Amino acid sequence: MSLHKLNAKIEDRFPKYIYSSQALNDNELYLEADPEHIIELSMYFYEKLSCTLVCLFAADERALSGSFKLYYSFAERQSGSLIILSTSIDQNNSGFLSISKTVHTAARYEQEIHDLFGLIPIGHPELKRLVMHGNWPEGNFPLRRDFSLTHKPGASNLAYGFTEIKGTGVFEIPVGPVHAGIIEPGHFRFSVAGEPIFNLEAQLYYVHKGIEKLSEGKSTEKCFYIAERISGDETIANSLAYCQAIEKIAGINIPERAEYVRVLFAELERLTSHLGDLAGICIDVAYHFAGSQFNMLRGWAYEMATQLCGMRFLRSVNKLGGVRKEFVAGKEKSLLEQLNTMQRELEDTVDIIRHNSMFNDRIENTGVLDTKIAYDLNAVGPAARASGISNDMRKQFPYAAYPKLTFRVPVYAGGDVNSRMKVKIKEAFESISLMRQVIENMPGGKNFEPLEPLGPYKKAFGITESPRGENIHWVMTDETGNIFRYKIRTPSFCNWPALCYAVAGNIVPCFPLINKSFNLSYAGNDL
Amino acid sequence: MFKVLKKILKYPRLTQDYPNKPITKGMFIGKPKIDHEKCTLCEKCVKRCPSEAISKGSSDHTIHIDCYKCIFCTLCDEACPEGAITMTDNIELAEKKVTDLSNELLESELQAKIKKILGRSLAIREVDSGSCNGCDYEINALNNPFNDIERLGINFVASPRHADMLLVTGCATRNMESALLKTYEATPDPKLVVAVGACACSGGIFQDSYATQNGIDIILPVDVYIPGCPPPPQAILYGILSALSRIG
Repeated sequence: MSLHKLNAKIEDRFPKYIYSSQALNDNELYLEADPEHIIELSMYFYEKLSCTLVCLFAADERALSGSFKLYYSFAERQSGSLIILSTSIDQNNSGFLSISKTVHTAARYEQEIHDLFGLIPIGHPELKRLVMHGNWPEGNFPLRRDFSLTHKPGASNLAYGFTEIKGTGVFEIPVGPVHAGIIEPGHFRFSVAGEPIFNLEAQLYYVHKGIEKLSEGKSTEKCFYIAERISGDETIANSLAYCQAIEKIAGINIPERAEYVRVLFAELERLTSHLGDLAGICIDVAYHFAGSQFNMLRGWAYEMATQLCGMRFLRSVNKLGGVRKEFVAGKEKSLLEQLNTMQRELEDTVDIIRHNSMFNDRIENTGVLDTKIAYDLNAVGPAARASGISNDMRKQFPYAAYPKLTFRVPVYAGGDVNSRMKVKIKEAFESISLMRQVIENMPGGKNFEPLEPLGPYKKAFGITESPRGENIHWVMTDETGNIFRYKIRTPSFCNWPALCYAVAGNIVPCFPLINKSFNLSYAGNDL
Repeated sequence: MFKVLKKILKYPRLTQDYPNKPITKGMFIGKPKIDHEKCTLCEKCVKRCPSEAISKGSSDHTIHIDCYKCIFCTLCDEACPEGAITMTDNIELAEKKVTDLSNELLESELQAKIKKILGRSLAIREVDSGSCNGCDYEINALNNPFNDIERLGINFVASPRHADMLLVTGCATRNMESALLKTYEATPDPKLVVAVGACACSGGIFQDSYATQNGIDIILPVDVYIPGCPPPPQAILYGILSALSRIG
């Protein structure tokens, strides 16, 4: 369905509700409606048009229009378009109607808006603090424009209400924020009776750094370096999403060679990430031979990254308008050889682990994520694809050189650790194949297209498929063409609640394994 | 079983012999260097540096690069019209903090004590106080077959109570502050604190935010700083070893 048809269909159905509609950047349809009609409209998008709520965020536009603005972003995946329903919340009236009872995904977004903007979602089923912990006094809303970036409010000690599970023999296990392994901080509260877990509540946002506030007012170039550092191991996915948004606003097409190079690095990042996850899953069940083999492969992937750009985490590869410089020329032959070796070794190791029945017993039926729950929570990436949902932004919202390349999106229906592992194995092979195609078919030409200064109050989405799943960024410029608002929604934000569901019913020692099979980023969630 | 043995024998040793063997030249992008003779003080690099690592000295009117704030993005190299700034491949940048003589004395005493108690072994507890997870992955990589830090008698432990050294990454976010302090307090004396990465050294790109600190030394006493964004495993190893005075 084209944007035009989609718009006509919506206006036909709700002639009185939508009072402005605007199509931007080829696939973004911005609609405006009154706050009281939002529930009905979002129900229609979600249930009748089968759209997913992929992002919900606010912007403090009081200086522009005297109100806060809420943006409900729905993805129409068949046609690859976005419907962005916006509504104005008057500055004197800080409440808005919660849609989370019908669109469950909305719950965490609304909590986030509550913490950062001080807007109250009326009718929210569980309105507790998310971003701000108890050490943050009441009445401080960092994403309001009148809150100074450097302001550090005084101390406070408010309680955080964990969900209590009561009953004979039920007890709680608190874990974290500092964990036993070398991982990021987060607090997990397990309610268990003996070994089985009834409920897991994850208290996150320990690494909340205020990235969205930090980017406000920054030049697009400086903000790029923040985008690269949203989540360390997703440098390309995040910087690419940001670049795409800015490039859309600037209205430029990047050189074809840069499109290919971007795919090369994005797939290298995916390969590295998946190999690390495979190693982690094996190590967590004490299968050290396989763990070390996968780690060896991962080491080779890092070596490839170092040869290409001198940075193991692919920093400073992207650039607004293309890629920084020539990275690939002259290295093609060696890259192809390395890819062949990696593919061969990966095939061998996968063959060995698939025939290890003890290992398979351990990962089968562990941490099952139901398709229905995955769909309701908008689980993304390999976790969703292991639960039978075949969403992949590289296919649905094609970007860079992906439309010109052939690849499959592996889908399994089991929803367990085994399925997630199988998805990651298949995707690793697909990544190798994609990198090979890029190297073989890459056209010559420029590496980047210089960007003109951006116009005022322009907005656009940037969408990529990171190793962890769909990654959605939204940028709005201010009157000087700098950043007015930068909303980042990484795949980890969607998958954390899914992880908590998948853990229930399993035993405590399975948690690290299930957690590893999801491999979520705390930094990407906490921002 | 045969296949497993075959694979183990195929790649018997991957471990790189760092620090005995130096890092391959030109492998990594390291510290930026200024050629002051070429520099015309146009301040283009100052304006474009994303982490405010470059500044013009108020007294001597020369351009300085603060290695601890630097995120090694190579933008200054690109921005300089005179080609006065170049990126080197030097990543062995960790430095001990010595502010005055009394500190130095204390430190040598501490070093002697550590050596006496620990011999050549060291137990490390890692704490992420708000990083992007890049540094954490690099610390993790110290345990992989390529770096295998245990060959040097150094291992990572699960609890701060078992640790001699805290390896802290990230910019000490407001939400992590008390956990970081508690971890520090739970670590028995004598202990060493090493700040890993630009965020832990200075706040890096996340400096001056409502939720972060400009470096963990605002909260904890730090012994060694390891710049980088993120520092590669070899750079972290160099820092750990220099904290033990086993290198440099």
